[in-house]
Amino acid sequence: MRYARQILTVAFKDLRSELRTKEAVNASVSFSLVILILFSFAFDPSAESTREFSGGLLWIVFAFAGALILNRSFARELQNDCLDALLASPVPASALFLGKSVANLLLLLAVELVGLPVFLVFYNARIVGSFWTLFGVMALATWGLTVVGTMFSALTVNLRLRELMLPMLVYPLMIPCLMAAIQLTTVLLGEPSLDAGQMVWLRFLVGFDVIFTALAVALVDTVLVG
Amino acid sequence: MDSRNITFMFYGLAAVWAVLAIYVGMLAARERNLKRELEGLRHMVEERK
Amino acid sequence: MRKPVLLVMIGVAGLLLVRNLLVMAQLPDEVMQGAIFRIIFFHVPAAWTAFLGFFAALVASILYLVRGNLKFDAFAVAVTEVGLAFGAANLISGMIWGREIWGIWWTWDPRLTSMLVCWLLYSGYLMLRRAVEEPTQRARVSAVFSIFAFADVPIVWFSIKWWRTQHPQPVVWGGGSMDPSYWNMLFLNWIPFLLLGLVFVAIRMRQESAKREIDAIRRMAHAI
Repeated sequence: MRYARQILTVAFKDLRSELRTKEAVNASVSFSLVILILFSFAFDPSAESTREFSGGLLWIVFAFAGALILNRSFARELQNDCLDALLASPVPASALFLGKSVANLLLLLAVELVGLPVFLVFYNARIVGSFWTLFGVMALATWGLTVVGTMFSALTVNLRLRELMLPMLVYPLMIPCLMAAIQLTTVLLGEPSLDAGQMVWLRFLVGFDVIFTALAVALVDTVLVG
Repeated sequence: MDSRNITFMFYGLAAVWAVLAIYVGMLAARERNLKRELEGLRHMVEERK
Repeated sequence: MRKPVLLVMIGVAGLLLVRNLLVMAQLPDEVMQGAIFRIIFFHVPAAWTAFLGFFAALVASILYLVRGNLKFDAFAVAVTEVGLAFGAANLISGMIWGREIWGIWWTWDPRLTSMLVCWLLYSGYLMLRRAVEEPTQRARVSAVFSIFAFADVPIVWFSIKWWRTQHPQPVVWGGGSMDPSYWNMLFLNWIPFLLLGLVFVAIRMRQESAKREIDAIRRMAHAI
């Protein structure tokens, strides 16, 4: 109970400081819009074939936009040695990590909810399946992205080439999660419901989330505290 | 192309050993640099003493 | 390890390779592929060596996190780097084989894709090490990354396998059953690869300790 409150406190702290400046979210939203526009030059956006890789397009945009938010997550705490203060506080490192992951999840989901309608309009697509199923898939996949991303944000926070290292290290790790998300999103944008074959991907996504959340929680102490 | 694919077999085998040879070259280059650095440092320490 | 031991290991590896090449020259050509199938005797052991290296890196990384001895860290870098070298040999020889048999350099088949992702992950490991200066921090950060990377590899493998079953599957290894003499050949060729890999690891570990010595002398020079 106390642990949950600690997680929420860290998450609210992060959300509040982000909403005051909005620097990461603004950058992330405009960046995803730019990529969506750039993609429209790579192929004909009105063609019927676009539907076949709509999920892939959407998730590549989200993954790029996510890197901007994740980069800031721990780097924000470097000024005035805030990170040391946080670690010295009675909050355990894993609660700090989970709190930051929750904040990142909410921020990235917000960016995605802005990006999704823009994508639907620009690429003349629509959600054939139920919106809530799609939202569930987005939440699960985004948690996978943020839990891995926040972990590596903590890992690379003291590095010289932080902004370059994070995407370099994180994207290959995210491949399975992105694949599941792409698969499910493409289906939901074209068909009314998921069939049994696609339920495997949903379970796979949950598995990815569980494995990497457990691994990150187990290892975050050695990364942050040492 | 010959029917037995001998040429491509040799390309394949050569590629395996070429990659390993490149790695050995990298190891040797690093060894040389480390030795030089170590020598230089030892020299410097001797002089200062 | 001592120099004579390493030289003996290289010598044994060389002799075994010559012997294997002579045996291989006498094997009849494969019916479908012709002579080129012999690449498999180098291609597959290279992959095994690479994966063994990555597994050893995982064990060394966990041991480093538990014990905190920098020796384990040195071992982890050494095996990862050697694994990457053998992984590259595996990928490139596979591509040459694919060019001849499938007519294309690359196909997004599960095996090829997972090996490539694996290779990228572990080259990220080496890049990560370059970005950290302080030795204990470098060891800790890279050990954590190594554990994440190893956990990711089987997940990547399964996901790509399912992904591609949604599409028509490219032909891999024709049938799938191999003559026992081929298996013998594979294992016999693996031994020299392992010996060479061990020699590389030993050399690489000595270089890491030389690096630590350089750091120590630097610090001493600073102090005087």
